[in-house]
Amino acid sequence: MDLFRRLFSQTNTKEDGISVETPIQKDNVTAPMESPTAPLMEAPAIATASVSESPAPIPDGATRPLPPETVISSSNEHLTFGQATDVGMVRTNNQDAMLSFLSTSRSSDQRPDFGLFIVADGMGGHHDGEKASALTAHIVASYITNNVYLPMLDNDNDSDRVPITEAMIAAVQKANGDIIVKVPDGGTTCTAVAVVGDLAYVAHVGDTRVYLITKDGAEQITRDHSLVQRLIELGQLTPDEAAVHPQKNVLYRALGQSENLEVDALTRRLPPNSKVMICSDGLWNMISESEIIDITLKHSNPQEACDKLVALANTHGGMDNITAVLLQIPSN
Amino acid sequence: MPETTQFAGMGSDASSDSSLQANTVLQRRYKILGVLGGGGMGTVYQARDLNFPDVRKLVAVKEMLNPTTDPALHSSTLKTFQREANILATLNHPAIPKIFDFFDQNDRVYLVMEYINGSDLETLLSKTKELPIEKIIEWSIDLCDVVEYLHTQQKPIVFRDMKPSNIMIDSFGKIRLIDFGIAKIFDSGVKKHTMIGTEGYCAPEQYKGDVTTLSDVYSLGATLHHVLTRKDPRLEPPFSFSERPIQDFNPQAPDRLVSVVEKALEFEPAKRYQTCAEMKGDLEKLRYQPQNIVQSANNAKAGLAAGTDFFEDMGNAGSVEPKWKFPTEDEIRCTPTSYKELAFVGSYDTNVWAVKLETGEFVWKYATHGGIASSPIIDEGNKLIMFGSEDNSFYALDYRNGRISWSYSTQDKVRGTPRMAPDVDAVFFGSDDGHLYALGAPNGRFLWKYQLGEAVRSRPFVTNEVVIVGSDSGEIFGLGLDGKRKWSYRTRRAVTSSPCVDMTEGMCYIGSGDNFVYALDATSGYSSWRFRTQGPVISTPAVQDDLLYFGSADGILYAINAQTAREKWKFQTEKPIISSPIVHNGGVYFGGTDEYFYCIDAVSGKERWKFKANGAITSTASVANDVILFGSLDKTLYALPLVG
Repeated sequence: MDLFRRLFSQTNTKEDGISVETPIQKDNVTAPMESPTAPLMEAPAIATASVSESPAPIPDGATRPLPPETVISSSNEHLTFGQATDVGMVRTNNQDAMLSFLSTSRSSDQRPDFGLFIVADGMGGHHDGEKASALTAHIVASYITNNVYLPMLDNDNDSDRVPITEAMIAAVQKANGDIIVKVPDGGTTCTAVAVVGDLAYVAHVGDTRVYLITKDGAEQITRDHSLVQRLIELGQLTPDEAAVHPQKNVLYRALGQSENLEVDALTRRLPPNSKVMICSDGLWNMISESEIIDITLKHSNPQEACDKLVALANTHGGMDNITAVLLQIPSN
Repeated sequence: MPETTQFAGMGSDASSDSSLQANTVLQRRYKILGVLGGGGMGTVYQARDLNFPDVRKLVAVKEMLNPTTDPALHSSTLKTFQREANILATLNHPAIPKIFDFFDQNDRVYLVMEYINGSDLETLLSKTKELPIEKIIEWSIDLCDVVEYLHTQQKPIVFRDMKPSNIMIDSFGKIRLIDFGIAKIFDSGVKKHTMIGTEGYCAPEQYKGDVTTLSDVYSLGATLHHVLTRKDPRLEPPFSFSERPIQDFNPQAPDRLVSVVEKALEFEPAKRYQTCAEMKGDLEKLRYQPQNIVQSANNAKAGLAAGTDFFEDMGNAGSVEPKWKFPTEDEIRCTPTSYKELAFVGSYDTNVWAVKLETGEFVWKYATHGGIASSPIIDEGNKLIMFGSEDNSFYALDYRNGRISWSYSTQDKVRGTPRMAPDVDAVFFGSDDGHLYALGAPNGRFLWKYQLGEAVRSRPFVTNEVVIVGSDSGEIFGLGLDGKRKWSYRTRRAVTSSPCVDMTEGMCYIGSGDNFVYALDATSGYSSWRFRTQGPVISTPAVQDDLLYFGSADGILYAINAQTAREKWKFQTEKPIISSPIVHNGGVYFGGTDEYFYCIDAVSGKERWKFKANGAITSTASVANDVILFGSLDKTLYALPLVG
């Protein structure tokens, strides 16, 4: 079956090689990417232009993507990613924290790529929210690096190591314990994705989301720990009612709430050429799922896609801090 | 924009600008003495009523901010407050504090109430380790009584906010309801910023705006659940009470009290108590009858036993009767198999037996020089049946007539079940000599062997990249098809369980004597998660539709989500489960050492039927046409009809 998967993925590569070229050429003719920290007044205008279907003229001297062939061959071998975060149009400080770490290698013993991607959305008055999310990103990264990544490099993988998701759960629980002590009035969500080869290990608390995006659509693989999501699951609210519910921002689980924290964990095999997006509610509250699919599939460069997503969320109002991390899974 | 965030259960959020200084006198009558507490909507002060100069008459003064700036709205909010305050003032119930006065001053409104000397239930919960059940029952009855009083007013009053912090226990140990929803008039309910923590006690329909007397019944149930379990619902997923069975946290809680709380917490309002009087009636039955409580617990257990007897009777009454039985001469410890019209099984009588699948009639047998623990497998291409024997040899017979085709000797007993890899025409099996062997299937030609340290009883799983097998050393190995080690993973006890690989996900699931089931990436051996049971896992997992099924020596058959390792259901049997489950047509089939063969609904975990053998069942069943085959230590091979 592994052989099938490999055969299958190679077929895909060929198909993609052909189909991907069109969007890349399209990228060439769209406006240059605004930086995520572009002046607030300008961002919407540019964003509208960049997501509109009509191709804008090529500005001279703009940074262009590498020639299509190069992009394809490099993204096919290894994981690539993009990330963007922005304060939004309403808030005065950005309480989101993100952290990305990628190790790719080439050696005779064929170690898989290792990537760690963390998004934390802080909450709390004064600067407590941003302190809590920053602390979380660092503690989780440190713990996972020490307990998952470094042992992978050190040992010839035959020790009785703690399973990866178990280490990830412990990492988030450690961050929770530290927040309670160091930032008692702060709280944060935390969604960490570790990618080892084509397997994604996810630890999740709160309403930051992970989407698995393929040509067939986007699947939200995390479950929001929010009151309205629970009411939807129980058939008491429709998603439309939830979107305007007065308590739509109420979480029932987050870091910094209590000593015992239950962390969701899951493992997913990532299909070749798929994309994984981690985003804070400032993004998914502002942009529809179809827009997310549209933008992520249209851009072969994950950084460009992230910038566009953040810009579009700002165009739609930017009511909250916006963070997007997009992983491009290689084709083999 | 102010960034205020409220954390449930983490102290008060009394706004700094609302505190009246001590010695302030309101309305020339109420002298503020200090702050009693900060409720959700305002501050409560202790004050002295100066109209009684000769005695120290204490009152409680609740201060609420009217934040509405629009003048019209401001005055209508105030009118609503006055109306509600008037209603409260007319109530007369021992559990409801008296309202003495109300007034508005500046941007604030004030309610002057009876001062209650005592402690609220939330504080009481945090300061005690355990509360006597009889006391809780008494309070519950009084709570039902006061809420019933509110509900039966000419214009029924819904309390809306039943929770421990709104219940005072006064100096006489009696309950008093302290916070009527009146303060909510001043709350828009809109939460602008992300907040952690829900109300926790609210009924689901309350979030849609459907607040009825039945919502109070739910909140009452939620409050009692919190008091009994000491699990704060504000720190748990909303409406998840049923996931925290009361007796798991409080074994002292009598069954009948548990059912009262569970009924109050029914998700559908129509299934709850329709009145608090009804709920009170059920609680009163628990009162003053400690003997009955004990008895009822015993009765429940007796009832359970009776239920089991009932099932036993059903089994004997013939709801499942074997299509045929075939007796061998010793215990059957291996899994039967079938091919075309024949069924095969090995026995500790040293024979492999072939019988007719339709009738169980004897066709042939082949005698080795040792007991057979290894399960025979069929190699269609070479028309062989292959198995190991405790005489140290591995055998390949012509399955049509039982004539030997070839055999291969190892250094110790061969108890491991072989695996055929048709693509490479090779067979893989483990031996107690500590090796995994790879032989050519057509002729038994030696290809390679790999030293795994200790006896290998686990059945290898072969993908086209890797052979995965466990060893009594506790290690799980991933070997290349060339016999070179690709990876290994160490558990803490012997691995007798066999790997189950989900080919689409590329994940390998395997149990260990260290009580865990592990999920490993089949290509790299990296472990994704492990799931703890209360006994060694010898049973081999089976995976279907993202659910993983396996038995444990703790007597439980588990169904867990393969991606999250979260338990979906578990099915308790009386004795350790050694046999591996198989999933067929929405049913999970497995045998127990309690001598029963079970069929469980794969989705719900509910028993469909069970069949009693005359000995423990340690091996796995196999499905053939319309029957399910399994062997037992009672020496018999059973063929049960596949029903439903």
